[in-house]
Amino acid sequence: MVCRLARRMISRAEDSGTKPPRWVERHTARCGACREYARFTDSLKTRFAAEKPGVLAAAPEFPLNQAAWAQAGTGREKRASLVRRLTLHPFPAAAAALLVVAAGLVLFQVVLREPVPPSAEDRAAVRAALRSFAAAPDGFPGVVTEAESSLAREREILERSLASAAEYLQARLNIKIERREGPRSF
Amino acid sequence: MLEQEPTAERTDEELAREARAGSLRSFEELALRYKRRLFVYLRPRLASDQDAEDMVQETFLKLYRNIGSYDPAYRFSTWLYTAANRMAISSYRKKRIAVVALRPEDAGGLADPKAGPAGETGSTELWDAARTLGGGQFRALWLRYGEDMDIEEIAAALGKSRLAVRLLLHRARTNLLKKAGPAPARTMAAAKAAAVGETRFG
Repeated sequence: MVCRLARRMISRAEDSGTKPPRWVERHTARCGACREYARFTDSLKTRFAAEKPGVLAAAPEFPLNQAAWAQAGTGREKRASLVRRLTLHPFPAAAAALLVVAAGLVLFQVVLREPVPPSAEDRAAVRAALRSFAAAPDGFPGVVTEAESSLAREREILERSLASAAEYLQARLNIKIERREGPRSF
Repeated sequence: MLEQEPTAERTDEELAREARAGSLRSFEELALRYKRRLFVYLRPRLASDQDAEDMVQETFLKLYRNIGSYDPAYRFSTWLYTAANRMAISSYRKKRIAVVALRPEDAGGLADPKAGPAGETGSTELWDAARTLGGGQFRALWLRYGEDMDIEEIAAALGKSRLAVRLLLHRARTNLLKKAGPAPARTMAAAKAAAVGETRFG
């Protein structure tokens, strides 16, 4: 395991042109196989470079077809692909056009459309509400006090229901439930 | 009238820039510089010398057509090998060319009869052993040691991540040590293989 890791680090150091970590150097000093790998890896550059001319000389000599290049010309393929790209196929073009129309409609409906003016019924309801405020005995504060009193009634009803539920549970389960003050916000 | 500088003294990138500007002569010089290198690179993944030659021709034709898209900020060799790699892959997919891992005796068949006896060109033992490695290991080794590319350039040329290239090179070195390393390493590898064989079939 250590040998594998050490060789990996040796390879990595060779690729990045740096020195392997100290622990790898210590390991290679002890391990013959890893030392061999390090030496072999280190020698590859010069050995491959020395053998390269022989490899290239062994490759067969063959003529290049320069006439084809001149015939093809530079950028011809590029221009052809540009023309292809500019030609629209009917189905994708129709789909794209439909999408654009749909998007335009949505934009018109949601964003650009002006708000609908309130109807006569809505106006009458608003006027009636305002009149009821004005007709209250103490004006606006009176309306607010009335709303608060109905909330207080609701709260009392809820408290009574909870208290009766707690009594039932105490009697049924033979336990004692202490009553504490509720939070102020309640 | 100014005399044009001989093409042999110019760098690949300068020649590619001139070819992009429309100089066929500069492109010819580039092709001459790289045709054998490209042949050696492509040969192990193709079935015959003829296939490799065709692939080299096709690659240069494609490069010449697309020379306008060459960016001089990058090395010409990276661009060339990237294109060659893509061409080889697409050709393999189209024609289903048999990919053969060359045996050392087959690699000897690459020798040019005009080049004279092997002794004249020097030993190619290490490259011959590298040719027999599969899974893109030879390509990675060629780009690293034959073309002196760094990991990033190899990754671009092979269309792989840098990590994958590092792993490929590490495996190639390990396998190469077994095949062409010093005698004790080879003996150890052979003994290990024999032991595995004995436990499996013995």
